Amino acid sequence: MKRGLAVWSVVGVVCLILSAGFSAWAAGEPIKIGVVGPMQFTQGEGHWNGATLAAEEINAKGGVLVGGVKHPIELVKVDSNEFLSIPDATNAMELAISRHKVDYLVGGFRTEAVLVMQDIAMDNQKIFIGCGAAHPKLCGRVKEDYDRYKYWFRVTPINSRFLVKVDFILLGMVAKIMATQLNIPKIKVAIVAEKAVWCDPIVGIAQKNLPKMGMEIVGVWRPSPVATDVTAELSAIQSSGAHIIFTSFSSSVGVTFAKQWGELKVPAAAVGINVEAQKDGFWAATGGKGNYTLTINTYARVKITDATIAFYDKYKKKFKEAPNYTAGTYEAVHVLAEAMQKANSLAPDKLVPVIEKMKRVGTAGLLAFDETHDVIWGPGYVTALGTQWQNGEIKCVWPLNWQSITYEGAVPYIIPPWVVAHYKK
Amino acid sequence: MGLIGYYFRRGWKLFRGEVLVLPSRVAVLVFALAVLLLPLFNQDPYLLRILIFTSIFAILAASWDLLSGFTGQMNFGHALFFGVAAYCTAILNIRLDFPPWFSIPLGAFGAVLAGLIIGIPCLRLRGTYLALTTLAFPIILMGVVFAIPDLTGGELGISGVDRLSGSRLNDYYISAVLMLGLGFIMWKITDSKTGIILHAIREDEVAVRASGVNTTLYKLFAFCLSGFFAGIAGGLYAHIMRTAGPSTLEVALSFQIVIWAVFGGIVSIYGPIAGVFILFPLLEFLRILPKIRMLVFAFIVLITLLYMPEGLIPWIRDKIEKECPRCKVRNVATRKTCRICTADLD
Amino acid sequence: MIQNIIINGLINGSIYALLAIGFSLIFGVARIVNIAHTAFYMLTAYLIYVGFHHLGMSPYVAMPLSVLAVGLLSVICYKIFIQPIREHEAAVLIATIALAMVIQEALLIGFGGHYLGAPPLVSGYVSIAGVKVTYQHLLALAVALLALLAVWALLMKTRLGLALRSTAQDREVANLMGMNEARVAMATMGVSVMLAGIAGAIVVPLFVLDPHMWMHPLIMVLAIVVLGGLGSIKGSFVGAYIIAFAEVLVVFLLPMGAFLKGSVALSIMILVLLIRPEGLFGIYFEEER
Repeated sequence: MKRGLAVWSVVGVVCLILSAGFSAWAAGEPIKIGVVGPMQFTQGEGHWNGATLAAEEINAKGGVLVGGVKHPIELVKVDSNEFLSIPDATNAMELAISRHKVDYLVGGFRTEAVLVMQDIAMDNQKIFIGCGAAHPKLCGRVKEDYDRYKYWFRVTPINSRFLVKVDFILLGMVAKIMATQLNIPKIKVAIVAEKAVWCDPIVGIAQKNLPKMGMEIVGVWRPSPVATDVTAELSAIQSSGAHIIFTSFSSSVGVTFAKQWGELKVPAAAVGINVEAQKDGFWAATGGKGNYTLTINTYARVKITDATIAFYDKYKKKFKEAPNYTAGTYEAVHVLAEAMQKANSLAPDKLVPVIEKMKRVGTAGLLAFDETHDVIWGPGYVTALGTQWQNGEIKCVWPLNWQSITYEGAVPYIIPPWVVAHYKK
Repeated sequence: MGLIGYYFRRGWKLFRGEVLVLPSRVAVLVFALAVLLLPLFNQDPYLLRILIFTSIFAILAASWDLLSGFTGQMNFGHALFFGVAAYCTAILNIRLDFPPWFSIPLGAFGAVLAGLIIGIPCLRLRGTYLALTTLAFPIILMGVVFAIPDLTGGELGISGVDRLSGSRLNDYYISAVLMLGLGFIMWKITDSKTGIILHAIREDEVAVRASGVNTTLYKLFAFCLSGFFAGIAGGLYAHIMRTAGPSTLEVALSFQIVIWAVFGGIVSIYGPIAGVFILFPLLEFLRILPKIRMLVFAFIVLITLLYMPEGLIPWIRDKIEKECPRCKVRNVATRKTCRICTADLD
Repeated sequence: MIQNIIINGLINGSIYALLAIGFSLIFGVARIVNIAHTAFYMLTAYLIYVGFHHLGMSPYVAMPLSVLAVGLLSVICYKIFIQPIREHEAAVLIATIALAMVIQEALLIGFGGHYLGAPPLVSGYVSIAGVKVTYQHLLALAVALLALLAVWALLMKTRLGLALRSTAQDREVANLMGMNEARVAMATMGVSVMLAGIAGAIVVPLFVLDPHMWMHPLIMVLAIVVLGGLGSIKGSFVGAYIIAFAEVLVVFLLPMGAFLKGSVALSIMILVLLIRPEGLFGIYFEEER
């Protein structure tokens, strides 16, 4: 009896020791995710911040559960410097994969660089989730050569084809509001698009569709993306009698344009794409003159899904500014974590089919991928937003009763008061 | 058998007499051997990638020196040759399916053509006017590139260019061997009669004209030659990066080339090559300080110029070698008498 | 349309003229191509921004302070980095490029790549002949003309101006005549960079600030100075307006090609050089033996 007790107690103690050692041993190897972006600029900061937020949330729960072991996520900052040097970007990518031994990659911004970085990732069969470049070619490659490019997915922004769609929906909305409120029989539109390849199709489509939408085009201006002075263009636009300025800006010209437009009180509403106007810093940069600028956006403090407002507030509290679309790395990291848990594996080949079928309640909408691994656009999925600067705050003005969708928190569009004053005469 | 032995002995005597006798030439030999034998010790793909880029930019910097250092035609738009060749190579490869060893020389000829086109208006210009005019050409070309996006891909450039060769190692050897080979050819050119004429044009063009030499022809020749070598670099770049974009025409690149060349030492082909081999890996190495990387780089350049305004290599060379006052031949600095004419070296 | 072109051309031209004259001055007197010229202009703009936003100074105080500070900084940089290597032209050139890079990187580290803006000294706009012009632009025009007058007065009516002009014409003889060439070069550097600083002060409210904003004006200034003729102040003045009008004409006559305004301006410069290799009013320097 005594001997039996002794044996069992020894067994019991050994088991206790083993289990303690097991859980220590079971804190698995960290999963390294490389966050690639121009870290000196806001886009890269957005990449890093979004990923950090996601990694913290996952690591607070102990990590990603794969094979009975919880692996914490370790983020590796990869400064691609893509704005200034493409070779730098590719070298950074190479460094991340061969030296830092990252297992997965998220981020990327400048299409010219991402095209090459994508190739490097595919050469090494690493999953690369794009969070910044909207060019359709990136996902087009998935279709052309599935076996090679299947490790690529895009989470944000929406494909430029859909960007154009939303762009025109916003234009139509403003045109309608102006026509009814100001009694204008035929709306005149001035198209101002920076000279960049991504704008060419928008200009082309606009020239074809606007007459069909009942509007008249009074001119097309293509300033340089880094133009420091557009007063000449604004003068010409004013002489042309335009009611709406249809903008397509992704670079600093967006700030310059809005500032000078507001300063000169040009009697036309600014609608379209203005990436700088998506950022909190826009208000200070334009000295408040960018008020009433309407632009496509990805995040705003409205209830797109149950996850949106919580994410928005958490991001703003931690990083002291509102999230921009490059913070979609938050989604990308969560997608990876979810896929790993579902597939119960870390192997890219096993994760790809899981991600393809994933439907995740994301922060920008219901996140799902189409057959080219591109984020799906549409009512019920990710629709993007139309946001307008209203007296120092970014307000969501679309979707508002669009295809029976309204995100809670959206408000109606406001026509700039000097435009109203000009036409009410 | 005896004949082979004879040639071997002659070769060895030549080697001992010409190469081993001067530390600078030994250094070049050691450098060439190091570059060629490196993969035996370390085949890290990242390291090879850095060295491939270094070799390509070394060819580019040396070609700049051929034009601006030797002939004195300060060219601030050298990125033009690089970019034109990269774009031509990419277009030939993508549209006409030319393989790399065909598209790269043809791309280089495209750069030569560009060299002619900009060389002709620049004939009448001197000094700073020439420098600033050459600065303008890549910028104008960039505007053209953006204006015809169907051919050039606009700001995205042309992507999907074929690989240079099957593997990273092969790429490395191709670029390294080309760098050593083209560098040697360029050096030989500067050492030849043509090189002397180019040098003379830089010092005093009127005198050269008075001697009956057609300087216009030689200046154009310098432009085209420089353009050819820069074009080879551009073609290689297009195939290594697998893309050719407007970043190949940037003003920043033109400035970088000038920095590399002047840092290494102009009016010597090996100077710019050394400059690139020091500065480019340095910039990569400084990745450990991501925020202040470029700042440190600029400071290093600034401080170096303060103490070695002629460039790094001439400064080092002056420390380890002395020139004989009588026969003007270089000797090791530790010698007391010249190795050729036995004059006193002090 | 014509009024638009004329007014916009005049305003842009004045800003360019301010920048170009400083550059032309330092080249004419000290034979230095100061690539960092527009970098100093950018630095002044940033200092004013810092003074206004972070230190709460009024713009009227921040502007002169920044201009003076940058002028002083440029003289110090000249003394430390450029004067020792004056004889090696290529090295001086690279040194100014490196200096510009240092300024750019320092600003990048301090402010990141964010686009910043400062509010204008005077708000609002006025309608001149049907064209809306902001008061700030008119102020820019006025200050530019004032500065140009001041430079002219400095060069023609003061002893320092006499020293500057004579050093520009013949450095060695001026030295023989007792003018301390080194000091004259330092003074020129200071004056030239202060002119760039004044341009920065005018421009701060009009343009967007970012650490790369010095590259485009540099190209334009180089084009203007070459077009007008190196070493000729009058040439830079005229060249500035020619280039500005060319740019405005492109925007108005070819709106689809508005991005080409830089390229067109440079092409004009090349065309003029083909006909007249020393620029419009250039003094063809003898090769110094």
